[in-house]
Amino acid sequence: MTEEMKIKVGFGDTFRELTVRIPDGDIPPYQPGDPLDLVGTSEIRLDAVAKVTGTAEFTYDRQPKGLIYGKILRSPHANANIRSIDVSQARALEGVRAVLTTPDVFEDSTARYAGAEIAAVAADSEAIADEAVRMIEVDYEVLPFCVTIDDSMAEGAPKVGRGNQENVDRVSPRARRRRRGGEINADAEASMVARMKEREKTVDKLFAKSKGVVEGEFRTQVQTHAPLETHGVVCDWDGKNLLCYGSSQATFGFKRELGSSRGPVGAKDVRVICEYVGGGFGSKFSAGREGVLGAMLAREAGKPVRLMLDRKEEQTSAGNRPDSLQKLKMGVAADGTILAYRVRSWGTPGTGTGGAGAHNDGIYNLGEIDKVEYGVRTNCGGARAHRAPGWPQGVFALEQMMDMGAQSVGLDPIEFRKRNDDHPIRTAQYDIAREKIGWDRPRVRGGAATVCRGVGVASNLWFSAGGRGTQVMVRVHKDGQVEVRNGAQDIGTGTRTVMGMVAAEELGLPLARVRTFIGDTRDPQGPGSGGSTTIGSITPAARLAGYVAKQRLLEVVAARKNWPIDQLGLRRGHVTRSGDPVLSFDAACQLMEEDVIEVLESRKANYAGFSDTNAGVQCAEVEVDTETGEVRVIKVVAVADAGKLINPMLAESQVRGGVSQGVGYALLERRIMDSQEGRMVNPNLEMYKLLGAVDCPEIEVVLFDVYNGKSNTSVMGLGEPPIVATAAAVANAVSDAIGVRITEIPITPRKVLEALGRKGSDTGKKGE
Amino acid sequence: MKEQRHTCTLRVNGEDAAVVFAVHHTLLEVLREEVGLTGTKHGCELGECGTCTVLIDGKAVLSCLELAVECEGREIETVEGLMIGNELHPLQSAFADLGAAQCGYCTPGILMAAKGLLAENPSPSRDHVIEALGGNLCRCTGYHKILEAVEWGAAILRGDLASRPPPEVFHGDRIPGEEVVDA
Repeated sequence: MTEEMKIKVGFGDTFRELTVRIPDGDIPPYQPGDPLDLVGTSEIRLDAVAKVTGTAEFTYDRQPKGLIYGKILRSPHANANIRSIDVSQARALEGVRAVLTTPDVFEDSTARYAGAEIAAVAADSEAIADEAVRMIEVDYEVLPFCVTIDDSMAEGAPKVGRGNQENVDRVSPRARRRRRGGEINADAEASMVARMKEREKTVDKLFAKSKGVVEGEFRTQVQTHAPLETHGVVCDWDGKNLLCYGSSQATFGFKRELGSSRGPVGAKDVRVICEYVGGGFGSKFSAGREGVLGAMLAREAGKPVRLMLDRKEEQTSAGNRPDSLQKLKMGVAADGTILAYRVRSWGTPGTGTGGAGAHNDGIYNLGEIDKVEYGVRTNCGGARAHRAPGWPQGVFALEQMMDMGAQSVGLDPIEFRKRNDDHPIRTAQYDIAREKIGWDRPRVRGGAATVCRGVGVASNLWFSAGGRGTQVMVRVHKDGQVEVRNGAQDIGTGTRTVMGMVAAEELGLPLARVRTFIGDTRDPQGPGSGGSTTIGSITPAARLAGYVAKQRLLEVVAARKNWPIDQLGLRRGHVTRSGDPVLSFDAACQLMEEDVIEVLESRKANYAGFSDTNAGVQCAEVEVDTETGEVRVIKVVAVADAGKLINPMLAESQVRGGVSQGVGYALLERRIMDSQEGRMVNPNLEMYKLLGAVDCPEIEVVLFDVYNGKSNTSVMGLGEPPIVATAAAVANAVSDAIGVRITEIPITPRKVLEALGRKGSDTGKKGE
Repeated sequence: MKEQRHTCTLRVNGEDAAVVFAVHHTLLEVLREEVGLTGTKHGCELGECGTCTVLIDGKAVLSCLELAVECEGREIETVEGLMIGNELHPLQSAFADLGAAQCGYCTPGILMAAKGLLAENPSPSRDHVIEALGGNLCRCTGYHKILEAVEWGAAILRGDLASRPPPEVFHGDRIPGEEVVDA
């Protein structure tokens, strides 16, 4: 049974009433003006002291007694079949405890990229493990390969995939197949192609009617996640049961993977512990082959094994954001309304084609859309979800098209966006970003001066209300101790802290009074840290569990003291009666007959809410040195919406982190593949450049506090949204500064100088 | 395969630690595996990321590039030695209060690099701080809070909060301490 009720939704000083169906057993969302003591304050992270004292234990730090060391042998070839592997010498080496091969474990005798797993060894020391890996002899059938999107798409390119797979697959609209991975259904495909042609015609007609028509071709690079803690596990078996310490952003995902009877490990009982993880950014959902090999080496050796990737393995084999080639066309009416939009895009996520797509058709009302997307196979390390998968690359292209579209009808870029945007939150954000960046301030532009400045704008959109499938346990002990438990991980976002805050708020306790437990699959089910949904999934369950525990405690107090329960509450460490403190929390707990009140509550379904999406606008100001081609990002203003703010300091930190990764993506980061050898040539942090303190711009964060009403906490996650717009805003700012568009990231000095050169010669021609 | 092993006493955080280790092991490995101090982190083992920064004789060094056999007789300081008695070092409390540690993996190295800086220059400008932390990568925070925390920690150490007021953190209406009111 669900209960219908009226709630207030909105932000700032504008709220409206909304009738929502509150699921059975849930409580209504936070409402404007609610007397909240903790929620909305910047409580210090519960694990801050552990992190600054070095006592926080990461996976790499786990050292069970008898620990030995795992190493992986990786393919030096970009494309090869394994004819045979001889491990006899390695196995005979003193100190070697276990040897496994990929054909045996994964039933896979191929090496489809340089860095693919071939075999693994566990030994008493890392030096012995290294030596043993060197002693493994592999007979490879070496095959031709492609490591760049252009090589793979070229006429007559060697086939990269398995069997008869073509290098290029249409991934959207997807071809209908008779069964998964099977033959294409020719009839269904024929009618699909007919529909696509029809759409092309419709859009062509609209282009013909448009006042402004703009076209562009954009490229983005492969970006690696580069978490500072590499991927890996420490695995320890107790008979048929596996204890896996994993550097993970999905403890329950690791558990399913290592415990699946269809997987190679098939552990009877798996416990995954990940109390601290040194960054994930999307790459640590799966235990991966390294996790599987670590678990199996430990089982074979009969000893705990640590298998952590080194930096080269991390950069090569542990995931990345696919690159993209995007050809776009936009038609704009005289009044600035976008009438039609065409997308043809390609991306390479490695040897498969999943996740190749670029989200270049979202955010704005783009009129009629004709979009076809292709995935391109290459012999490169595979993509993994990367902070807003598909979005930064898509928005990089989309937002430049928006600027070009604005120019085509003579509109200011921000005005043009507002004209094609009806998001209830974002439409209120543009002018704030405009003012904070000083959009209308005069600047030296045009490239004639040595140092030019420019500003650019871009938007983001996200979908992070969270959802069902999470449970939180609250225990109130007779001695006044309170525990809040969930088995999901905190990848640095502050999950532990916000979970504690919403539960403590219900119980009327300071945050320091609750003990939070996180990152252990013995505790109740929690989400993977994906889609920015962790906070939206955990906090409503934590709040509800805190609320129910409060009711149970108050029932005890009411019965024992003979007070009417409807007069009682918990606030500021006390039981209150008609609002006045009458009994300390500890004294109330002592009235309990049992030792503990234990409550386990589930995340209920989402309500209708104010907005299904959270919005953001970013503006960047850059300085370009036209002699050296160097671009400096001076400032980024990031206006962000996280639904109801639980902890502004943590939310701000997410935004700063996303923006700084976005600036690195715009200017520095790039996986470089060598077409001769087929290997990554910069699998380290010296040649693969992350943004350092020196290059990091001033970032001004403006947080919207939105009573969204999607759940009882109204919160929306904020891990991914802030990275979506940054590179696009920077690129638009560069173009504003030098008067010529750079359509490929990273924006290196060479590209800037080339662009200025092109512009110079264009001007020259005009002068003739 | 026999590894040549070395026995010596290392001076770590003001205490002597008798250790036996393979001669090729770096200070990072010996601190973590033999001394049992895992606060100092592995990030790249190539001297590129700064997560393994410790102080040797007061100077910030990358412990992944330092052979442990060469550290005998030198004063080694790690993040575990940063606390002053039971109190957090001002740098530590500033990092905690400002939220300068996000995932926390780069934090120990950055704290040690900052301590090395403040030993040489108790009143660093923003540029000095940026330069000193130039080799320490952080993938989470966007650096701003880290820089503020180093400056604030330095001000606390100098006893000079007048010239450098605590950065604005919006802590809202904190819950007051509990007084016992029993009916």
